[in-house]
Amino acid sequence: MSQRKRVSTSQSSSQNKRPASLSLTATNDDDDSMFTLPSTSQVLKGLENLTEEQVYQKTAEVLQYFLVRDQKKIPIRRADIMKHVVKDYRNIYPEIIKRTARTLDQVFGLKLVEIDTKNHTYILINKLEEPEGMTSSSGPANLKSGLLFVVLGLIFMKGGFVRENLIWNLLKKLHVDIGQKHNDFGDVKKLITEEFVRQRYLEYVKIPHTEPVEHEFCWGQRADVEVSKVKILELMAQLHKDRPESWSQQYKEAHSALSTSSQATSSSQR
Amino acid sequence: MRKSKGPGPDTGDDAEVEPDEQQDGDSDPGQRREIRSKYRELICSVQQNREDLLSPQNNHLTEVLEKANRLFKDVQQTREAVLDSQLLVVTTDLGKEKASQMLSDGTAFDHIVFAENLLSFMGLNRLEEGEEEQQNGGAVDGYLPQDAWQRVAQWSQCCFKTAPTFHYMMGSFHTEPPPPKQKVERQRKAPTKEVKRIMPTQLKKMEESQHEATEKEVERILGYLKSYHHDDPTSPISYYEFVIDPDSFSRTVENIFHTSFLIRDGLAQMYLDDEKLPCIAPSEDVEGATADSQSRQQCIVSINYKEWKDLIEVFEIKNGMIQPANTLIE
Repeated sequence: MSQRKRVSTSQSSSQNKRPASLSLTATNDDDDSMFTLPSTSQVLKGLENLTEEQVYQKTAEVLQYFLVRDQKKIPIRRADIMKHVVKDYRNIYPEIIKRTARTLDQVFGLKLVEIDTKNHTYILINKLEEPEGMTSSSGPANLKSGLLFVVLGLIFMKGGFVRENLIWNLLKKLHVDIGQKHNDFGDVKKLITEEFVRQRYLEYVKIPHTEPVEHEFCWGQRADVEVSKVKILELMAQLHKDRPESWSQQYKEAHSALSTSSQATSSSQR
Repeated sequence: MRKSKGPGPDTGDDAEVEPDEQQDGDSDPGQRREIRSKYRELICSVQQNREDLLSPQNNHLTEVLEKANRLFKDVQQTREAVLDSQLLVVTTDLGKEKASQMLSDGTAFDHIVFAENLLSFMGLNRLEEGEEEQQNGGAVDGYLPQDAWQRVAQWSQCCFKTAPTFHYMMGSFHTEPPPPKQKVERQRKAPTKEVKRIMPTQLKKMEESQHEATEKEVERILGYLKSYHHDDPTSPISYYEFVIDPDSFSRTVENIFHTSFLIRDGLAQMYLDDEKLPCIAPSEDVEGATADSQSRQQCIVSINYKEWKDLIEVFEIKNGMIQPANTLIE
C-alpha cells in the first residue's frame, strides 16, 4: 500500500501544491449542513482534474488526522475533517473517505464507523479479536474502561436506562465516592457525566417532570458499536457464577443486537 | 369537563378569584381549595416515598391512584384538573419504573449483589471489612488492593472493541493545539480595552518621570551645594563657579535651570559679594533668611555660548563643581 508510506509525510508540504484547476464554491464552513455530498459523477469529474499522487496525499492526511484525533476517543466530526484536512478537495470527499476506510481496515485493522449519520461523526473501532488470555496493553488509560464496564454493565442489566442515583449508589459500594477525588479516576462524576458522554459511551438524559431535576443514563452511540453486550453478559454470568441465559431478557437483547449492529456498521461505512 | 377560562394551568395561586366562579353555583371556592390541597399532598407523598412505592412487595401505587380517582369526582375546573394530570405524570413515571423492574423476569438484576461480587473479584479484604461495611453502606475505603480497578479493567477488556491509540515514542506532542485559539480570542477582545487604558497611563508616567527626574536633579544639586558649604562655611561659593560645567554648555544650562528651583523653593539664596559677583549658599546659613523671604526678588539668568566661554576663562574654571548625573550612575 502506497498510502502507508505517506502517513509520515508532513502535512504542510502538500498544502502548497493545491490543484489550481479546481474552482470550488468553498465557503468557509463550520456548518456541515451546508455541505451536500457530491454525486458519483461529480466525484469522477473531480478525480479527472487531480493526479493519483494528489489523491493519495490527501487520503494519507485524512488518515493521519483520524489516527491522531482518535487518541481522545471523542467522535470526529465530518465538518472538522473538511475544515482542517480535506479543504479544497471536498468535491472528491466520498472517494477520500472510502480510501481512508480501506487503508484503516487493511493496514491498521481498524474499522471506520459513522456513528451519527445525522451529524456525521466518525469513530474508529478495533476489528481484530483479542487473542484469549492476552493482556495486551495495560496502562492507566485502560483503568477507565473498568469503570466504564461497571456503568455500562449496570445499565444493560437494568434494561437500558438507569437513574444516576443508582449508579452513584453502586459506585459508592465499590469505594468510588463521587464526592471525593478518586485515586484512579479523579473527579468521577465529571468523568462519567462529561468525558464518557462526550466520547459517546454514555448518554446523560434529563428525566422529564422531575423536581429537582434528575438524570438517567443509557448507552451512547459509541458503546453501541464498540462494546459487546454478549461479552458483558458473559462476564456478568461469570461474576455471579451463573449462566448468561438465566437473564433471558438481556440474553435475547444481546444476541439480537449482535446481528443488527453488525449490519448497521457495515452499511454505514461509505 | 368544563370549558377552560382564567389564567390557564395555574396551580398555585389560591387568592385569585376567577370571574366564572360566582356564576357557577356548583363550585364552592372553599371546596376547590380543599381539593387542590389534597392533590398537592398526594403528589408530595408520591415524590417523597418513591422508593417505598417502587418496592414490589406493596400495593401503594394502586392506593394512590384510587385516592386520586375519589378526588377527581369533585373536580370541576381546570386548575384542579391540572393538578390531577400532574399527579398522573408522577405516577406514570413510577409505573414505568415498576414495569422496567418486571422486564428482567425470572432473575432480576440486583445491583447490590453485583457490587458484592465485584468487590470479591477486586480482591476486597472481607475479614476486616465485614461489620463496618454494614454500618456505612460499603463506603469504607482502604481495604481494596491498589490494583483493584486494574483487575476490573483487564478482565473486562474483552467487551471493548476500542481501537488502540498510538503514542509518540519521543515524548509528548499534544494532539490538539487549543492555546493558539485562545490567543486569537484574547487578542480580539483585549486591544480595544487595553489601548484605551494604556494611553492615559503612559502619558501620566511620562510626566511623572520627567517631574521626578527634575526633582532628583534639584536635590542632587542641593546636596553638592550643602557639602561645599559644609566643607568651608566661611568662604562664599561663587554662583558661576558652582553652576558652570566647563566641559558642557548644555549641562551648564541645566544646572542653572535646576538651581533656580532651589532659589524658588527657598532652599538656597543668592547674594552679591563685595565685588558685586553673585554668590550662592544654602538658605539656613544666610543671615536673615526668614526675614528676607518676604522680600523676594526675581531675576532672570541668561547665558549664551560666548558668555559661557568667557566665564570659564575669567573664573579659570577647570572642573565643574556639579558632577554630571550620568557619571554618577556609572
